Amino acid sequence: MGRQGLWQEGEGGSMSQPTERPVVLSLNKATIQFGGLIAVNEVTFDLYKGDLFGLIGPNGAGKTTCFNLITGVYKPTSGSIKFNGKEVSGLSPAKIATLGICRTFQNIRLFPALSVLENVVVGSYLRHKVPLAFAFAYLPPAIKETKALRDEAMHLLEVMELADMADARSADLPYGKQRRLEIARAIATQPDLLLLDEPAAGMNPQEKEDLLTTVRRIRNEFGKTVLLIEHDMRFVMGLCERIVVLDHGEEIANGPPEAIRNNPKVIEAYLGEAV
Amino acid sequence: MRIVSILLACGFAFGLDTVVSQQFQSLYRLVVLAGLYITLAVSLNLINGITGQFSIGHAAFYMVGAYSAGFISKTFYAGQVSPQVWMVGMAILGALFAAIAGFIVGLPSLRLRGDYLAIVTLGFGEILRIVTQNIEPIGGAYGMNVKPFGSPPQTLWLAWILAVLCIAVCRNLLKTAHGLPFLAVREDEVASSAMGVNTSSTKVTAFIVGSAFAGGAGAILAHAESFISPDMFKMDVSFIILTMVVLGGTGSITGSVLAAVALFAIPEWLRNLQDPVTKVPIQIPGPALVASILAVVMTVALLKLAQDRYHGERVKKIGLLLGAIFAGSVAQMVLNLALSQIPSLAAKSFEAAALRMVIFAATLIILMLLRPQGMMAQHEFSWAWVARVFGKKEKVAA
Repeated sequence: MGRQGLWQEGEGGSMSQPTERPVVLSLNKATIQFGGLIAVNEVTFDLYKGDLFGLIGPNGAGKTTCFNLITGVYKPTSGSIKFNGKEVSGLSPAKIATLGICRTFQNIRLFPALSVLENVVVGSYLRHKVPLAFAFAYLPPAIKETKALRDEAMHLLEVMELADMADARSADLPYGKQRRLEIARAIATQPDLLLLDEPAAGMNPQEKEDLLTTVRRIRNEFGKTVLLIEHDMRFVMGLCERIVVLDHGEEIANGPPEAIRNNPKVIEAYLGEAV
Repeated sequence: MRIVSILLACGFAFGLDTVVSQQFQSLYRLVVLAGLYITLAVSLNLINGITGQFSIGHAAFYMVGAYSAGFISKTFYAGQVSPQVWMVGMAILGALFAAIAGFIVGLPSLRLRGDYLAIVTLGFGEILRIVTQNIEPIGGAYGMNVKPFGSPPQTLWLAWILAVLCIAVCRNLLKTAHGLPFLAVREDEVASSAMGVNTSSTKVTAFIVGSAFAGGAGAILAHAESFISPDMFKMDVSFIILTMVVLGGTGSITGSVLAAVALFAIPEWLRNLQDPVTKVPIQIPGPALVASILAVVMTVALLKLAQDRYHGERVKKIGLLLGAIFAGSVAQMVLNLALSQIPSLAAKSFEAAALRMVIFAATLIILMLLRPQGMMAQHEFSWAWVARVFGKKEKVAA
């Protein structure tokens, strides 16, 4: 697999109206209940291909739970989650990743003892074509594939501006770079849909600015659909084209940033004063 | 290049066999066992160290291999092929049976983590041993004689080829992209499944491959010893293998090999501590023993102190450590002189060989205190690594 294979060609440039594009992810009354607590209650929204979609809300609103539902960590109590028209609720996380959804974690979950490059190569697991037995015997196809995947990962690290630290232990990276690495690792799985859980948390303004550019690039150049959770309103409002607001597991608003910013319910529940 | 290294490994194994069997006959059995322990440690390292599945029932797979191969050999061998070829077949068969056992034990690992998995594997090992103890056709608690060939077979070459094969397989895995998912499962299972890694098949594969090698080792053991009994596969064997993995540095193949050789050799060497000339077992006088114990405790405390508190230049640090050892030796001599004044203690002496397990245990404790990450930590032996280490030293010297 060459370098071209790393990214699928996107439409690029400015996006057409959402409704003209195919639906990638569709939540229909997705609900999960833990005992008496309804963590996510009948949340319904559609993501169109190429969307930059924000999921916001106060702490404990059910945003990360929503991610966990989509990625198969939890099985919804009721409702449906369709990805590219296929029902995914109830599938295992690994199976869902196979279908083309990949995520990052709120509390960074890298493989600490592995190097930066190795972390990204793990992301290319789904593209292993050579059987494992070949690796045990160290046969040429396995060596060749390893080299190809490493080159590809290196290229991705260059795009993510992490190439100079490729051989460092990932646990030794500064916080902001660990976040970038997690995104790089997720992109290495070549997902159609990328879920970012608070990607800008703990970053300084400059790092946030860089991240904004990177996420835009992921969408514009590579045609990925991005769904992200974020608390930094400047970041979300500056990046996302559509936003869903959750509060106590309920969906209280859904629309473009301007509408969200002026929505009285959102202001009451989350934003407080207008931003 | 690869063919050359395979030939070299085989040549090494056969050469070792010939040399040892001619020159050091008394050592033959020990060298075979050392090879088997290397296989066991490296194969457990695949499960424990590389994939992070805490298994402490490795002796069970060893036993499955030994019993299945031993029984088949005993029952069916009637000179069909040469003993050497037959043994290769038996090793493969033993590996196969152990792999099946490994698959069965691997299944709970899909749902269990850490301590819980450890308990399950421990229980599995014990159950298997006790069941074997109660099956009369395979000798029950008395054990089973495996003597298919008349004269004792040459097993050293096979034991060492298996060890080399085991090392090669693990190293190959880690050298390719296929090895990374195994490490990823160890590092963070949730994150690896989010990357699409099939954690179930990864873990079960580790169990299957790891136990297959243990089974192969067991098959060789059955033929090398000509006798197997459930007592040879008790829990403490599992623990020794586990200790080898941890002591060597979890995840490091080189570490497992070194620790396997060291932990196997130390007790064996201490067993035969005797005066080289008179062949009389070495006696340690009471005062010297007590003084040594106190001095060792002191030295370890000093070493630990130097290690924890001093974070400066490497040369100075090495100087401090050497100083601690020197201080310990001086203390030993002074204490020895002082204690010799006590008549009741001076009259006593202890046989060195009787203390071997004490010395063994003390060595383990000291190593874990001073180097908790294991002998090799996570490093592997490579020429590049050697160059780096020596390169550093040169820089410090200059």
